[in-house]
Amino acid sequence: MKVIETNKLTKYYGKARGIIDVDLGIEKGELFGFIGPNGAGKSTTIRILLSLIYPTSGSAKILGKDVVEFGAEIKQDIGYLPSEVFYYDNMKVKDLLNYSASFYKKDCSKRIQELVEIMDLDTSKRIDDLSYGNKKKVGIVQGLLHNPKLIILDEPTGGLDPLMQQKFFNLLKEENNKGVTILLSSHILSEVQRLCDRVAIIKEGRIVNVEKMSDLAKSNYSRFKLELRNPIEEGLFTLDGVSGLKIENNSVSFMFKGDINTVTKIIASIDLLTLWVEEPDLEDIFLHYYE
Amino acid sequence: MNIVLRELKAHMKSLIAWSVGMFFLVLLGMVKYSGFAASGQSANDLFKGLPTLAALFGVQSVDLTTAIGFYSVLFLYILVMTSIHASLLGAEIISKEEQDKTAEFLFAKPVTRKHVVTSKLLASFINILILNLATLVSSVTVVAAYNKGESATSTILLLMVGMFFVQLIFLSIGMAAAAISKKPKLAAPAATSLLLATFFLSLWLDITSKLPDLKYLTPFKYFEAKTIINNATLNPLYIIISLGIIAVMLIAAYFRYSSRDLSI
Repeated sequence: MKVIETNKLTKYYGKARGIIDVDLGIEKGELFGFIGPNGAGKSTTIRILLSLIYPTSGSAKILGKDVVEFGAEIKQDIGYLPSEVFYYDNMKVKDLLNYSASFYKKDCSKRIQELVEIMDLDTSKRIDDLSYGNKKKVGIVQGLLHNPKLIILDEPTGGLDPLMQQKFFNLLKEENNKGVTILLSSHILSEVQRLCDRVAIIKEGRIVNVEKMSDLAKSNYSRFKLELRNPIEEGLFTLDGVSGLKIENNSVSFMFKGDINTVTKIIASIDLLTLWVEEPDLEDIFLHYYE
Repeated sequence: MNIVLRELKAHMKSLIAWSVGMFFLVLLGMVKYSGFAASGQSANDLFKGLPTLAALFGVQSVDLTTAIGFYSVLFLYILVMTSIHASLLGAEIISKEEQDKTAEFLFAKPVTRKHVVTSKLLASFINILILNLATLVSSVTVVAAYNKGESATSTILLLMVGMFFVQLIFLSIGMAAAAISKKPKLAAPAATSLLLATFFLSLWLDITSKLPDLKYLTPFKYFEAKTIINNATLNPLYIIISLGIIAVMLIAAYFRYSSRDLSI
């Protein structure tokens, strides 16, 4: 049984496009990334999964149950961290966490204590007085305190310093090792790259591709960077398979896909200072999808 | 119960402020009575000569020289205040989750929309009941302090029961406005505009004798002090109409809030 399964999920806001025919299948225990630029439909998809909004057509199931019909029941097992955290004013952190825990049919007090310690949170403070990053930490704790089977994160790392981000990712990996499924939506590729096994790329409301992270990185693109002793003639590298060519003074960089010998032959003919041939990072591949 | 408790806590300060406010409204109103009582029958004669003014103050067919007669004038304003409280409360308690963007927190929890509406309805019900009781206690004690004739407590009790129906009507209208509207900001202004419209309609109906059937459209005409004082009973027809309005509003609120997208 898939943890998340959507079938031709479509949402229009009036006439405005939300998402179109989104098909996703996320297995138990997966760390699944969901990437795309702002406005591509990531949050729309997530909000439908949480039945905050309803689909125009198509359907979505979580743990085998329809999200519209069994929304409340399903959410016993979901932990959600929204991109922007807003909480009731005049509430202390511990009040909010206890209020959050009171919705679940289990005792969460021990887990709250653990999470508060990991995230280094002062629970006696008023939420209004917290910085953006600290509010985010409250969001993380309230999302995880009931030991959910599925964690959904929408652009989670904004406002967290790198150290806290590291702690947070370790926490997520720990949860994942226990068998928890994680859906992480982001437009920041490096965080998806750090965490996820598989990734869906969404563009203008449609899923463009679903790939294993390792396959995505292994695509037969290579990134070339050259430092030269002398400037080269322009046009030397204008050949099939080369993209993103940049020539600045004595340095050249480009992406290449195809028979690598054609490039090495050209390179052999020039006077080099240094040469790098690298696997492209996700950023490069991503640009390729959005061309 | 967690949402109910949360809402009771969130509204506690405001409820205390409203209750204290009602006490002072009753007190300051009745202080004026002592002056009126001193002037004796002349006050009644004054209003008899000015029927429109009498209508505006709601003093036709009551004896202003008795404490309960004077209180009945005040009752209209008490009724308006508690109605405003109820309609604002109803609109705000539903719309604030969307307006303050806490809907994404609350509805990611294992709750149905219906459960949330029920919890908020219960919390609001308790709030308006407490305000009603606070007004009852204030009214009974203050009126008793000025009263020289027979006890007015049973009449005040009846007035408060009538007022509770009107509070419930405006609470349900406020909740329906917030549950139906996709723009949470508009709920409270819409509900209070309707309230003011029905209030002015009731004043207009007092002044004019045209279109008397319009009285069914304004809850301020359902349980008028002068009728209750003179008849010593609530009109069952208006109780039925009130319950009908409340039921329609709540059904609309439940149905629409469960089926629409939350505005986040």
